[in-house]
Formats: sequence, structure tokens, C-alpha cells
Amino acid sequence: MSQTRSIDYSTLSLRDALDLAILVEEEAKDRYEELASQMALHHNEESARFFRFMLQVESTHEHQLLERRRKLFGNKPSSVTRTMLFDVEAPDYDEVRATMTERQALETSLRAERKAFAFFDAALKSVTDPETHAFFTELRAEEADHEAKVAERLSRLPADPLITAEDVGDEPVAH
Amino acid sequence: MDDLVIGMAGSGGDGIVSAGESLIAAAAYEGYYAMMTKSFGSQVRGGESSCRVRLSTRRVHNPGGILDIAVALNWDDFLKFGAELPVSGQTVVIYEAKTGVAPGAIPLSGVTPKEVFAVPIGDMAKQATGTDKAKNTVVLGLVAGWFGIAREAMLRGLAKKFAKKGAALIQANEKAFVLGELFAKEHPLATPRAMDRAVAQAGSKLLTDGNDMCAAAAIFGGCDFFSGYPITPSSEVMQFFTTHVWKYGGAALQCEDEMAGIGAALGASFAGKKAMTATSGPGLALKTEIMGLASIAELPLVILDVQRGGPSTGLPTKPEQSDLFAAAFSAHGDVLRPVLAPTSVADTFDVTVEAFNVAERYQTPVILLSDQEVAQRKETVDPIDTSRFQIEHRKLPTETDLQDYARFRQTEDGVSPISHPGMLGGNYQGAGIEHNEHGNPTASGKIHAAMNEKRFRKLAPLKGRKDLFHIDGHEGATLALVAWGSIAGVCREAAALARAEGLDVKLLVPWLVYPVAEEIYRDFFASVRSGFVVEQSHQGQLYRILRMYVDVPAGVVPFCRSGANPIMPGEVVAKLRNAAVALQQPTTSMASED
Amino acid sequence: MTLESSVERKYLAKDFRSELKPIWCPGCGDFGVLQAVYRALAGIGRAPHEIAFVSGIGCSSRIPGYTTAYGFNSVHGRALPIAQGIKLANPELLVLVAGGDGDGFSIGGGHVPHAIRRNLDLTYIVMDNQIYGLTKGQLSPTSPRGLKTPTSEYGSFEDPVNPLLYVLAYGANFVAQGTPADMPGLAAIIEEAIRYPGFSFVNVQSPCVTYGEEEQQVKAHRAHMKTLESLGHDPADRLAAMGLAQAYGQELYTGVFYRNDTPAPTLDALARERQKTMAGQGLPRERILESFVQR
Repeated sequence: MSQTRSIDYSTLSLRDALDLAILVEEEAKDRYEELASQMALHHNEESARFFRFMLQVESTHEHQLLERRRKLFGNKPSSVTRTMLFDVEAPDYDEVRATMTERQALETSLRAERKAFAFFDAALKSVTDPETHAFFTELRAEEADHEAKVAERLSRLPADPLITAEDVGDEPVAH
Repeated sequence: MDDLVIGMAGSGGDGIVSAGESLIAAAAYEGYYAMMTKSFGSQVRGGESSCRVRLSTRRVHNPGGILDIAVALNWDDFLKFGAELPVSGQTVVIYEAKTGVAPGAIPLSGVTPKEVFAVPIGDMAKQATGTDKAKNTVVLGLVAGWFGIAREAMLRGLAKKFAKKGAALIQANEKAFVLGELFAKEHPLATPRAMDRAVAQAGSKLLTDGNDMCAAAAIFGGCDFFSGYPITPSSEVMQFFTTHVWKYGGAALQCEDEMAGIGAALGASFAGKKAMTATSGPGLALKTEIMGLASIAELPLVILDVQRGGPSTGLPTKPEQSDLFAAAFSAHGDVLRPVLAPTSVADTFDVTVEAFNVAERYQTPVILLSDQEVAQRKETVDPIDTSRFQIEHRKLPTETDLQDYARFRQTEDGVSPISHPGMLGGNYQGAGIEHNEHGNPTASGKIHAAMNEKRFRKLAPLKGRKDLFHIDGHEGATLALVAWGSIAGVCREAAALARAEGLDVKLLVPWLVYPVAEEIYRDFFASVRSGFVVEQSHQGQLYRILRMYVDVPAGVVPFCRSGANPIMPGEVVAKLRNAAVALQQPTTSMASED
Repeated sequence: MTLESSVERKYLAKDFRSELKPIWCPGCGDFGVLQAVYRALAGIGRAPHEIAFVSGIGCSSRIPGYTTAYGFNSVHGRALPIAQGIKLANPELLVLVAGGDGDGFSIGGGHVPHAIRRNLDLTYIVMDNQIYGLTKGQLSPTSPRGLKTPTSEYGSFEDPVNPLLYVLAYGANFVAQGTPADMPGLAAIIEEAIRYPGFSFVNVQSPCVTYGEEEQQVKAHRAHMKTLESLGHDPADRLAAMGLAQAYGQELYTGVFYRNDTPAPTLDALARERQKTMAGQGLPRERILESFVQR
């Protein structure tokens, strides 16, 4: 399933590529905010906390890219819009569960980073513009780096306890 | 003679009701006050059918009691109508000679009518038209001949009715009419009974039934949308809307069931239009859930319930007043829903306009509670000056309100400005779930209590609406009648008759039957020691509701009866007479002083 | 810092997002539907205040509150009639209807054929999860035979309704199915359904994360879903569509089952025409009683 629509990678310019990358981060940031909010509403503080952390990571990355874009292209309008993106780096909605553990939340992020890696990897196969190619290669490497960081953090996490919230939690409520 | 009641019965194929319609149309044209009711057997066609027409030179309030004239095209059918066509020693009985019954042996037990005529109606019809089908026209001729009613107008009416069928048919019918007239002239009544000439100017009166009047009034009141489901006896309202509302830029929809019928109307109200639905008892039951939704969503909506015999399928073609509990109390939860009841075709106009005004002003569903009697009887109505009516619209948000709009914002009077889709800044969530001022769902006890309080408080001013109550008679009277809907008309006549006998009786007729206007009833009952709440229902539902909210004097009791058992003015007068006598009996305490 | 878009877009997806936080369980398929609705509405470009979003009762029926449109979360099974009243009263509005499989095909089932044949221009989105989630997991009309739920302890005796087949048989002119497993596809289908002139129906396989089995979740969709396009289906062929719809419950086909490219005029269009033609034919409202005068 293609994660973008109406984007022709073979003609993608650096400016478009930057704009695309910015929106990828923005989309991920917005999604982490939403997921953090869902977790908080469902009283899963540990997962909420992690998603808020990821929100910051994506936000920082987004700002870095925005700076870079501004330096290179100023206020030239963008032709890339959010409607062209579909959860490129943003975790899918069905990745989360109300009773997920922190470990499971990290695993969600891990899969999202892998998804992003796969996206840039696939895009690179079609990209012809050399600057864009270099840029996407860089981004792909960054995703790999993020993935590694998450994996490392995951390794430092203790294993999930024998008894989880799923086991002891109250039954769902009828309305 | 200034007041005449004619009752006619035959089989559907005889065109008896058609004759009645010609008669009332002619009478209306002539300027008489008139009413006509119809009654049928359960067949869809060709069953027994009857009608009664009352004409008077004075205003009449009900279709009358004992018949002055009874016309029976056959006795089996006539007798099926029992108490609906009551014959007494004052009645002139006219019947089809072909029934073979001798004038001295007509099958009306316990009664010797004043005069009895066996008339070869069928033969005269055959003579005039070649077939006995024109019996009903012969009957019209008989009536015109014996009672001097509206000859020219009837002939005009017949010509108009058969206009499409050609000159030959019109002439044949005229011949039949004339034959009937001739028979009457050649066999005069022992006591001549010519109808007085009408006082009003010819061609000035309206003639219509409650359903059409309701629909017309709704359109006058600004109603732009109707949706509903066919049900006897309210379908005519839907038919009026589906035919005419487009001319006013409105829309009407016959829906797939009663729930869709009220649902679509509620949607139209949500969209900002004045909307209405119509039904009868069984449909009211089905609409209950969405009525509750309208209350909590605070949306204006008019729901017409034309009451018929209940419960369940009940008696679809008979009037009854047994939906009052349902109208007032249906819908789970704490709901206060206004119920307004017209008493005649004439005031169906006023009450319908008021129903829309109440719905709009208080953003509430309103039950307009009519009954089969008022809805389907034809009645002459004096011209109504529409300029004296105020039309109200829902309170829209101002520019300031829209800066920070809260659909259910608490206000002093409990009514919040209401937006609708298309209004910029007025976006809100309507819902059946309890909500805060912004329309967002809540389960907070505090907010729920506040919202209930708001929804009740906004309607409180209704209880002070003296203009929705009519009191007849002097304030200090000790004898009282309370009646609503079509029975009010029976009691208006009864009260007048009673007063003519010297009885000191006053009558209260509420248009607003719910919520109960406690103060108004308290004031009315203050002087009352004896009386009746007269109702067409087994339980006497208004009486019961009054007892919930008001200290009804012990001497005021229900006089109530299931539908299809007509209550006549004479019966009410008899009860008042007895009550008056009872009031004069010494009480036991007085006796012990001796 | 925001980017200026060179693409003319009156409203962004986030302009349709309200501040209310969804009560849906994390992982619920309805989140994807909501996102797709935001996208679709952004694509269409009507202002939020010109949109009326009507729903019944159920988890999925909460959806209007999560948008900035005018919403009406009404009563169980009655969203379709209410929405039709709104549309007929003001045909200028964009009207959406949403609900679950129970709201639409159980208690609301009687309204479906009539909404279809009436053909007002509105879009009905059903979030089909084969269960009654809000009331704690009872059978729904689309639950498979044998399913064990609190009201079918020993397994259901009943076959499910086939919403796709029914809607096609009732004569709907636009019938599609989607899943959040394919977000681009879902957003496109919903947008196309809204654009379609007349009654349009989108069934979304939107799994319940709390009461549904693991093999019913969105992840599982990805494994076995097939696009109708990939099957070579021609959406102009109603009978072929019905043939494919029969696989409901066994297969997950996504895309447009049927689209009538020459539909009859919508009822709202016909109503408007009639109002135009008949305008002024009646007596003015203040003189309407004159039609009752006996002359």
C-alpha cells in the first residue's frame, strides 16, 4: 500500500523532498499527540509519557527540517500537502491499545520508524534528482538511527511484568 | 325553526354522506351555521354509512343530540348506528317505502316519533333518472320541500358536483330533486317546520373540517415542512401539505413509518424550519422516543394527535379523549411537554397557530391534541381575521452570541438562542444524550440537574397564560363544568341550556391542557361546590391530571364515558339539575343543630 | 512556522477536527474512519457550518461530535429519517449520516430501503464491526453464525445480514466498502461517496478492539483484503457487484462495488424544481382561509 498519493518521485525536487519530509514529521508529531491524548484519557500514563516524548522527537526533527528549508528556499510556497500523506512515519491507529505497556508503546514506535525507513528506501528507488537522492539517503539513515535509539531504549526496559493491566483491569463498561 | 338536526343512514352505495355534504355546502353558502359528522361501518366501501347535519341561524357548538329528522334508506343500516342517531318523540322519520315496513311498525323500540313517512325514494329516483341510484338527491328534495332549506343553493351545488359528467346527468338529478320536493309538498307535515332564513350574508362563511383547518393554519403560522405516515383520522393533514406546501417553498414527505415521520420533521426543525407531523394514538406511541429527543435537544416541533378510540388499534373512526395521559406524559425521563387542544373547527385555527408559537418560543415539542370529531366534521366558520394573529419565531443568536456560541447557554428565562446549519459560528452538536451548555455529552449530576431545571423553567410562563383558558358564566357560580376538546362544545350548549333554566353554572374550557395551570384552576374552583369534568374517555384523564396538581373540590366529579358513546348536552344538563338540587339539601351538621 | 501551500485549499483536515476527545478505545477502527472523513471534507471544500452530520446511537455514532460540523447524535436507528428531513428542509447543506451495523441494520433496518429509494443527496457511512460495542459486546446483525457473546453464550443460531448485498438489492446507486487498513483508499472512497449526486453508501470494516477477535483487527485486514479493481470488477455492473457482495463475511473486498453513472435526479433536486414551478400558485399565507369560503 502506497503511503503517499499524487507524488511522482522520479521528478521530485529537493524543495519538494524537504517539504515532504517536513510533513512526514508533522504528521508523525500530530499522531503522537493524538495517541498520547488517547493514552492519557484511558489512564495509561506510562504510554502517554512515551508518546509525548516521541512527539518532542518528531517536533524537533520537523523544526530542524523547517530551518533547513527556510535557509534554502525561503518562503517559496510548497506544493506538497498533508492530503498526499497517509501515515508515512505516523504509527497507525490500530497500533495502540488502552492497556498497552511502555514496552509495547516503544515497539509501536519501533515499527513506525521501520515503516519510515522502508518508505525512504522505496522512494530512493525512483528518485532521479541527485540532491533529492542525497537528502533521502540522509533521511533514511536518520530513520535507521532513530530505530536504533528506540531499540536501545527498549533493551534497557525491564521485561513486561507477569501480570499486566490487561489481566487485572475491570471489565469494559456498557453505555 | 332556528336549529335543525338531520340524521341519515343507508348503505355506502346510496350516497348518503354525499347528500349530507351537498346539504351542508348549501347551508353554508346560504349563511347558516352548520356542522356535519359522518359515521361508517368497518367495510372500506359499501358498508353502512350515516351522517348528521345540524343547521342553525345561531352559532352551534356541537353536532346536536336527538334528531329532528331521521332519514333511513334501510332499517338494518340505520339501527347499526344506535346512539349516534338518537330518535325521540320529537323526530320526524322518513324512510324508504320499499323496506316494506309499515309506518306504525318501524323498528325503533321505546319511541313513537312525531311523524313517520314511508316514501318511495327509490321509485322516484328511477322515475327521474332511470335508475334508483339518485336516491340521495331525492332525499335532498324531500328535505328542501319539508323544511324550506336552501333550495337554490342545493341545486347549484348539484350542478357543480356533476358538472364534469355532463348536462344530461345534471338535469336528471334536478328532476330527482324536484320529485322529492313535490312529494313533500303533496304530503305536508302535520306541524309545519320551516327553517328560518339565515342571518348571515350568503357566500360569506368558510366550510371545512378540522384537519384541513389545521393544515391551513400551520402554513399560515409559517410551517414549511411536514412529514408523517398515513393513519386514520389524521391523513388529510398530510394530504393537504403534500398538495399545497410546495407553493410556499416548503416540502412534505410521506415516510416509511411513524418514527421516520417525526424524525424527518425533527431534522427539518434542526435545520431551522417550522415543522410538523400528524398522527393518531397508535402513531403517538411509536413517536414517543423522538418526542423525548426533541425535548432534550430543545427543538421546536408540532405533533398533531387526532385522538381516536383506544387503546392500541381501538376504534379508528370514533372520537375519544383517551390520549391525554400519553400526550402529557409519554417519553421516559423528566419531560415537560405542552399539550394544546382545540375544541372546534373554528378554534383549530387559533390553537394551531398558538401551538407553533409555543413551540418556537420555548424550543419544545408541542402536542396539538385534536380528536376525530373535530378533525373530520365539517363546520361552518365565520371569516377569521388573520391580521390579529402574532406569529413567533425562535430566538436566533446575535452576532455577539456567535462570537462564543453555546447552544444551551443558561439564560434568565431558560431559553437559549438557537442556531441551525448554515449559520456561521453557530456550529453545535445536537444530541439526545445529556449535555453541557456547549452540547457536549456529560454524565455530571450537577449539569444534568441544571439542564432539567432549565428545560422546566423555560416553560413555567405557560401556566400563567389566561388567554389559553375560556371561562363562561359568572365568577361566583357554585356549579361548574370543565371540558376540553370536542366535548367543550357539548358543555357550552349544556351550560347555556342550564342557565336558561336558572341554574348558576360556569364552564371552564382549557386550550392548554398540560402543564396544569394551577393558579387558574384554583381561582376557578374557589367558588365551586359541585360540578363535573366531562370527558369522552373511560378514565376521565383530565380529571385525574387535575387531581395531581390542584385541590379539586370534592363535589366536582368526573362525568366520563368511552368513545363511540356520544355525550349529549341534555344529559349534562340533567346532571347539573340534579347536582343543583343536591346542593340545596341540608348538610348533616345543619340537621344536628335542630 | 507553517508552509504556504500553492495548492488552493479552503479548509484543511484539521479544520474539521473538534476539541472533543474521542471516547473510543485506542486501536478502534473508527479513528481511521474519522481521519478519512476529515480528509474527505477537506477535499470537498465545504465550510464546517454548512455540513450537518447525523448519527444514531453506538460508539461509531459519537463521530459527529469529533468534527466541527453541525452534529446531531440522535436516537438508535433513526439517523436516516432525521438526516433526510434536514436535507429536504435545506438542500444547500452537505449532509452526512453515520452509525454502526446495529444502528443501521437492526433497529434502523426499516429506514434503509426508503432512504435509498428516496435518493436524497446524502452519504451514509456504516462502521461495521459485527458487534454491539457500546452496550458491552452483544451480537449484532452482522455477527457471524456461532459467535459467542453475552447474549449468545452457546454460539449464535443466526446468519448475519449482508449489508452490501441488501443495499445493492435495495437499488442504491453508489455502494462501496473500505477499511482503515488502507487509509488512502478509505479517504478516497469517502470523498467519492460524498461527491456522488444522490444517496451513497460506504460500509467500513472498522473492527472493535475491545470485543473483536485478534484476527478481526485492522492488522489482519492487510493480509487478506483485496481491491475490487484488482479483481477486474466493473462498478457499472450491479449484478456483478451483488455477486461479489455475497462474499461478505468471507472476503474483504474494498473499493466501489457499484456506481450508477446515470442516476435519477435526487429527491431534493426534484423538490426544489417543484417549489420553483409552484411558487406563488397558492393564496398568500395570510389569505389561505379564502380557499374554504363557500361560494
